[in-house]
Amino acid sequence: MSLTQTSERARRRDYRIPLGILLFSVALAAPFIGSRYVVHALIIALVFMLPAHGLNLLVGYTGLLSLAQAAFFGIGAYTAGLLAIGYGTPFYVNAVVAGLAAGAVALPLGVPALRLRSTSFVMCTLGFVIIGQAIAKNWISVTRGDMGLSGIPKPYFELGPLSFTVGGTTGFYYLALAIGILATLAVFAVVRSPAGRNMVAIRENETLAESLGVPTWHYKLIVFMLSAVFAGVGGSLYAHYLTVVSPLTFQMYYSTTMLIIVLGGGAGMISGTIFGSLLFVGLTEALRITPELRMIAYGLCLLVLVFWFKQGFAPVINRVWNAIGGAK
Amino acid sequence: MTTHLPLLDIRNLTKSYGAVKAVNDVSLHIDRGEIAGLIGPNGSGKSTFFDCSTGLARPDTGTVVLDGQDITGWSLNRIAREGRMLRSFQKTVTFRSLDVEENLIIAGQMFTFPSILSTFSIGKLSRQRIAGLRERARELIRMAGLWDVRHQPAGNLSGGQQKLIQFASMLMPEPKLILLDEPMAGINPKIIERVVETILYANKSLGVSFLVIEHNIDVVTSICRRVIVLDQGQKLAEGLPQDIIQDQRVREAYLGG
Repeated sequence: MSLTQTSERARRRDYRIPLGILLFSVALAAPFIGSRYVVHALIIALVFMLPAHGLNLLVGYTGLLSLAQAAFFGIGAYTAGLLAIGYGTPFYVNAVVAGLAAGAVALPLGVPALRLRSTSFVMCTLGFVIIGQAIAKNWISVTRGDMGLSGIPKPYFELGPLSFTVGGTTGFYYLALAIGILATLAVFAVVRSPAGRNMVAIRENETLAESLGVPTWHYKLIVFMLSAVFAGVGGSLYAHYLTVVSPLTFQMYYSTTMLIIVLGGGAGMISGTIFGSLLFVGLTEALRITPELRMIAYGLCLLVLVFWFKQGFAPVINRVWNAIGGAK
Repeated sequence: MTTHLPLLDIRNLTKSYGAVKAVNDVSLHIDRGEIAGLIGPNGSGKSTFFDCSTGLARPDTGTVVLDGQDITGWSLNRIAREGRMLRSFQKTVTFRSLDVEENLIIAGQMFTFPSILSTFSIGKLSRQRIAGLRERARELIRMAGLWDVRHQPAGNLSGGQQKLIQFASMLMPEPKLILLDEPMAGINPKIIERVVETILYANKSLGVSFLVIEHNIDVVTSICRRVIVLDQGQKLAEGLPQDIIQDQRVREAYLGG
């Protein structure tokens, strides 16, 4: 749609493709430009982008506020960690199984939770995180309790005769980047599909959607499970990157971080989630240099957001993007 | 009297909210191809009656039979999908951020459990069905006079235009019966004419039956063949519109006598 617009008013040149290529090149070259610490911050941002993408489908597109994302993130992290330690399976197996495990757990949790109305649903999803932490702490024979899982091996791949291990920050950065791009494309496909339209319909007016024959309950459940799959895959990256998983993976702080990424970036906009994860996770990581100012700067950032960018940053990004594309 | 079954047959419907009997033992039927009116003072239970008939609320007692099938207790979306009985709401509602065409497409899809998986852009099924729906949506958009604004978000349009969107949406799934809750409320006379035209067109050319809650008595007398009057949750009278407006009991109910 925007393509036809720009060809009509071709007075200003469209710089979006060159800019896109530039941004992509910067992303590819980041390990060589930035310091090790910057690359580490980018990896954390990419790891959190996955659950945030899932949450955006739920909060931004379907209108369901959930705090359960950290629970699915933790399930993914433990699944991947246990597989890697216990069976030495390749990374892609761990990531896929972690995603599926989180999605499978979301089914029995979603069935009762989605019967609840707005605020009760939020409280219920909060409960999932707390229960997840309790299980991780107390199911000692599997999770090793408070000690957590340590020594999770670096991600290793086995492609036919070829097998290699992704060691080092640079290698992991490219792995996270590749998965981040795949996840973004997947979200894009869902949002552009007929289901994406129905999700927006449910967000805008659930009763109306239902009165027009949309099986809203099934949609909500599927999107809830889908968001858990994204979180689970994110969790597997987290486990392999940090090589340690503890019951603290199930914590509210992670759920709120994911929520801040989505809402601050711009709910219901993919560019918002990408920008949000770079800004909020990247920022907190980058500010570790000044521990005293860290939380203050973070808080100020949130205040700016609430007062000046009520819709998140995505509308601003989209406007700039369109301006670069030659539209007024 | 009638040898064939009525399209909609509601028997002894009762619904209470606490101690208040919002609908008290109301029975009514709608024949095939009929446009019937449902009138009554505010708070007489008309909307509750609609809610209980269409699955938005569950009736305490009573049965709802649509086209020979007992649909009592079905959910709102199942009644729309499988029963092809649709309803409008008193307040004009549309999907505000979606454009007019998308608003209509949502109404026509009628995907159910396994097939909704295909809507997540997996498989060809949904793409083909959506292409067909777009055709139909465009026809209805043209008919409703919304062609020039079809790519505008519905929320940017006037109340009257949104009413037309709502109306066109309900025609998308080839309904058998449409229940309209005050379709003329808060819109200007020009749009009223357009809505009346559309109702008559849908009735004659598409064979849709209607049950209409309406306070505008001119509209009721001009389109309805039969009028049912509710008062305090009970059926007060039923008959030809011209007889009903002369009825002493109906006048008293309206004047609060």
